[in-house]
Amino acid sequence: MKTRIALLGQPNSGKSTVFNMLTGLHRHVGNWPGKTVEKNDGSFEYDGVRYTVTDLPGSYGLTGVSEEEQITASFIRSGQADLVCILIDASQLERSMYMTAEFAPLGVPAILLLNMMDVAKAQGKTIDARLLEQRLGIPVLPFVAAKEAGYDRLKALLAKELKAPHRLKTAPAALQRERGSDVLSDGDAKYRWIRSILDGAVVQRTRPFGLCAFDRIATAPIAGKLLTVAIILAALGMAMLIGTPMSSLGSAIPKLLREPIGRMLSGWGVHPWIVSVFSQLLPNVLCFSVSMTGYVFGVSLVLGLLEQIGFLARVAFQFDGLLSRIGLQGKAICPILMGFGCTVGGAFGTRVMDDPGQRLLTMAVVWAVPCSATWGVVPVVARMFFTPMETFLLCAAIILCTVLMAALAAWIFRPQLTPKTLRCGMIMELPPYHRPHLLQVLEESFHKAWDIFLRSLITVTLVSLIFWALTFSVSGSAEDSLLYRIGVFSEPVTRAFGLGWQTFMGFLSAAFAKEAVLGTLNAAFLGQSSLVDAAFDADAAIGDGTALAYAMAQTVSKAEAAAFLFACTFQVPCVMALSATLRESHSVRWTIRFALFYFFGALLLAGLVYRIAALFL
Amino acid sequence: MNLTQMQAGGFGVVTGVSGDARFLNRVTGIGLTKGVRFQLVRNDGKMPVLLYCRETLIALNRPDAQRIKVRAE
Repeated sequence: MKTRIALLGQPNSGKSTVFNMLTGLHRHVGNWPGKTVEKNDGSFEYDGVRYTVTDLPGSYGLTGVSEEEQITASFIRSGQADLVCILIDASQLERSMYMTAEFAPLGVPAILLLNMMDVAKAQGKTIDARLLEQRLGIPVLPFVAAKEAGYDRLKALLAKELKAPHRLKTAPAALQRERGSDVLSDGDAKYRWIRSILDGAVVQRTRPFGLCAFDRIATAPIAGKLLTVAIILAALGMAMLIGTPMSSLGSAIPKLLREPIGRMLSGWGVHPWIVSVFSQLLPNVLCFSVSMTGYVFGVSLVLGLLEQIGFLARVAFQFDGLLSRIGLQGKAICPILMGFGCTVGGAFGTRVMDDPGQRLLTMAVVWAVPCSATWGVVPVVARMFFTPMETFLLCAAIILCTVLMAALAAWIFRPQLTPKTLRCGMIMELPPYHRPHLLQVLEESFHKAWDIFLRSLITVTLVSLIFWALTFSVSGSAEDSLLYRIGVFSEPVTRAFGLGWQTFMGFLSAAFAKEAVLGTLNAAFLGQSSLVDAAFDADAAIGDGTALAYAMAQTVSKAEAAAFLFACTFQVPCVMALSATLRESHSVRWTIRFALFYFFGALLLAGLVYRIAALFL
Repeated sequence: MNLTQMQAGGFGVVTGVSGDARFLNRVTGIGLTKGVRFQLVRNDGKMPVLLYCRETLIALNRPDAQRIKVRAE
């Protein structure tokens, strides 16, 4: 029995809405074999039969060279879909029919879904679906994807067509060529065919186009940029607000679990190593994963809404010119700004980008952006050495450096991630504004957050174990830990970068979590708490800053302090960002490359800052 | 004349498109083909041009917009 359905459509045709509404929570996100393009599979049940649905990557055609188009074309050609459901935007009928013309030569059973009939009606357009049906030879269903009401009819039609399928009627010869030598005349032939199909079946008024009042500002050169940044920052605020309850819950976990688990295991006479793993490491892994999930949920929700409304396309339009200088699409401004809140949110926010290479490149750039946790550490340590004015100047220099590091990361990774042959300028549609489907965005955000929670557990546990092994000592003293030995051993080298063994340990812990930096410094300089406490129970380990400030001032010069702050800021953001990047990039190789770049980049930068600062301070 | 030389608000017809196959594929897919009528909506300094064509508002980066030859109406 045939049960495999594929959804085909151009961007903004409402394809993902149809996919989500059809499959609900019965879906699975994976990858196309050997590709970085995401693959969405789902299923639904109708009349006792389970049907599978594959959401094909959105593209404007099928004969182009983009990864998405090739995936889609070869998927359909391979016969992996028994029925293709082509989505057409009824409000932009002629243009969105182009996909149908591209699909015609493939000869696979299909139905046509005339989506956004409500918008078309509001435009004063009437479409004779029966006449289209006769001319095309496949069923044509007028549809409004956002309304639940039509889905029963759609499911019934899909089931019926799978039993007795229809194929597109033979089209003119020019259409039959799948990959012609002459793109232009092929394109002409396809639009001529579309005209002949639509002729007499569509009645519409043509009137001059006018931007709506909001768009007149949103697309203006300067006011538009200000408006766009303001809206993204407001969205960032919202995302953090939504994520806060979850992250508070997350940070409550170690406090709740640590004592009882520790007492219970010690009571059983278990080895202190195991006690430490279960009472300190694992609750902390849970804490990280839960807080991370909160941010991901928040970012996913706000960006999902902005995307559905159609605002992100305006953002792309505004920032394309600026960001194309470092090889990024305009939309990259969203994840980059999100990165100021939390790098995890930034890495996750790259979902708004459609090109996989662009996504990875944006992740590399987002890592350079100092997150809010970094701003919780840098000024505190800076004030131990510098006057308020100097601290301010130092922070300003760090922000300036952010731009340089971002540009450097883009410059280094660009040749491989977006090879010259695949580069192209922005050619995109600014869709009309739509009312967002809140429930759907909520559901999808929940789904994504849950997914990242499960996957991050593994990565965060692994990295935490490594860090735990580095910091653990049976005696509890920092000087009995592996990290201490590494720090002391490599001190002759790290000195060249302005880092002593204590600050180098702080630098290493900054890759684990920025929150762990102060605790590690405390343990290294004062030796009052163990490193494990410092790393995995940051709150408890910081204590009074004055003792630390005094101890640090004894051994660390101002130039070294400045070097340390730059090193910490541009170090690998944290284990959560690492795990989110791994999840989002689907690539261990690239995640490791980014990590190496930022580790050594931060060290080199520290060395540079140290030399320069030594001249003045 | 090319697309970037037109006045915003004016109507025009595409008279020719030139570029590599990839570019031609993309503009064809989004509906910009020879003979199609359009309205230029925005054309500001260094920003991409904004045009309305086949009921679609299209943003097109400037270097590419220069490869689209047009006739004002």
